[in-house]
Amino acid sequence: MNDPYSVLGVSPSASDDEVKRAYRDLARKYHPDNYHDNPLADLASEKMKEINEAYDAITKSREQGGGGYSYGGGAAYQSQPGRQSAGQTGSYAQIRALINANNLAQAEAMLNAISTHDAEWYYLMGSVYWRKGWMDQAGQFFRTASTMDPTNVEYRNAVQYMNQGGQAYRPAGTGMGDMMGGDAACNLCQNLICADCCCEMVGGNLIPCIGCR
Amino acid sequence: MYGYVRPVKGELKISEFERFRGVYCGLCHELARRYGFAARFLVNYDFTFLAMLLAPTGPAKTCPRRCAAHPIRKTVCLESCESLALAADMTVILGWWKLADGAEDKTFPASWGCKAACGLLKGAYKKAAARRPDFAAATEENLRALQALEKAKCPSVDEAADKFALILRAAGGAAEDEKTGRILSELLYHLGRIIYILDAADDLSEDIQTDSYNPLRYRFEPMDGKLTPEDEKTLRASLQLSHNALAGAYALLSENIYAGILANTIYLGLPAAAQAVFAGTWKTKTKLQKERSIS
Repeated sequence: MNDPYSVLGVSPSASDDEVKRAYRDLARKYHPDNYHDNPLADLASEKMKEINEAYDAITKSREQGGGGYSYGGGAAYQSQPGRQSAGQTGSYAQIRALINANNLAQAEAMLNAISTHDAEWYYLMGSVYWRKGWMDQAGQFFRTASTMDPTNVEYRNAVQYMNQGGQAYRPAGTGMGDMMGGDAACNLCQNLICADCCCEMVGGNLIPCIGCR
Repeated sequence: MYGYVRPVKGELKISEFERFRGVYCGLCHELARRYGFAARFLVNYDFTFLAMLLAPTGPAKTCPRRCAAHPIRKTVCLESCESLALAADMTVILGWWKLADGAEDKTFPASWGCKAACGLLKGAYKKAAARRPDFAAATEENLRALQALEKAKCPSVDEAADKFALILRAAGGAAEDEKTGRILSELLYHLGRIIYILDAADDLSEDIQTDSYNPLRYRFEPMDGKLTPEDEKTLRASLQLSHNALAGAYALLSENIYAGILANTIYLGLPAAAQAVFAGTWKTKTKLQKERSIS
């Protein structure tokens, strides 16, 4: 493993507080929520694991007994895949597996071969577009899916996530504006929510952390 | 080339500003060194960003230089290096194709200007295309595909933006390792997507007046040369998602000496450009206003 201090970007003489602050900022940066259904999610979770290990190594070596601080790490992230195929049969389950494996061309071909287009079809097609980075079309397909089946929570969440412009890390001091044209007050709220997530996260309380979004 | 990808200068440290100017001036000198004086006029912020993004970690060599724009006081320029060479080659290739496109699309007298510039830079383009055959091929292929979409009046913003995004993705060149390659591909794709959509939004009223192609005309139903507030919100949410993807990719790259400038460009510069484009003030803002203001 690399030198844990250089992983966190602090000097070995840094105080416990400084180490903790550096760890929290990095944990906020590589939080799985920022890489929701993202083709680079695996690299982000690798980073997360690296900083968790570095933080654990430092706290252990300082004998503060603060072992329980670090975020659940890669395993926790794996437990919330983008699309669950449980309870589904036939080609849709297969298509979901293909999308999760980032095999978009084949997923799209299989979807195009299906002639009846129900809500799930629109949702999965939207997911293919999402992964391709075609965000506008992804939104249109998610909205159609949600209109066709308004009771489905998964579709509704996708629409809501799109409408609010997703979630991303912003370094401190750059909360002035975003592509949505949100005002500063709105961003302040967002940052507070973020900070709240972060505190819970560092406390190891993972479920409320995800729930607070 | 488009100018949306630039740092907000007022928020840069002075050392960062000097470093930024060093890359910009360095790119200009590199263009002259590799392609002659005329190529200097292609220098732009977008490829300055690329040169900084692709710079390796570790210190960079600089040297003071004089030029026609700074005849008396020398500026501290970044010395010729691999990332500057790449940015210069890509600038000439994309710049030349943009001029060729303008020569076909624009009306007199602008079309004649483009034609003349194209002729002047023909030699430079041939040289650059020989140096970067993959990028030249990707640029030509995607611009042709984009022209076909324009002719067919394609109503999909994503599909039109995809072609330009693929050009920018190709501009990353061959990365040193697989991981960096994946990150840069994702980052540059979404940067290209954002540039294309901002440009379309900026030109919307003009394109309606001159009856030129603009994907937003067919995707949405603009009224009086403007998107309805509802449509604007939809479009900006989709831009935000691309911006998230871009920022997420950037966070995974190893930091180099330009990290502060790159972060400023991504987190402040791009949102400021989007803000001005959608407020309809981007075109009327002076150069100074664009550099100074955050919103």
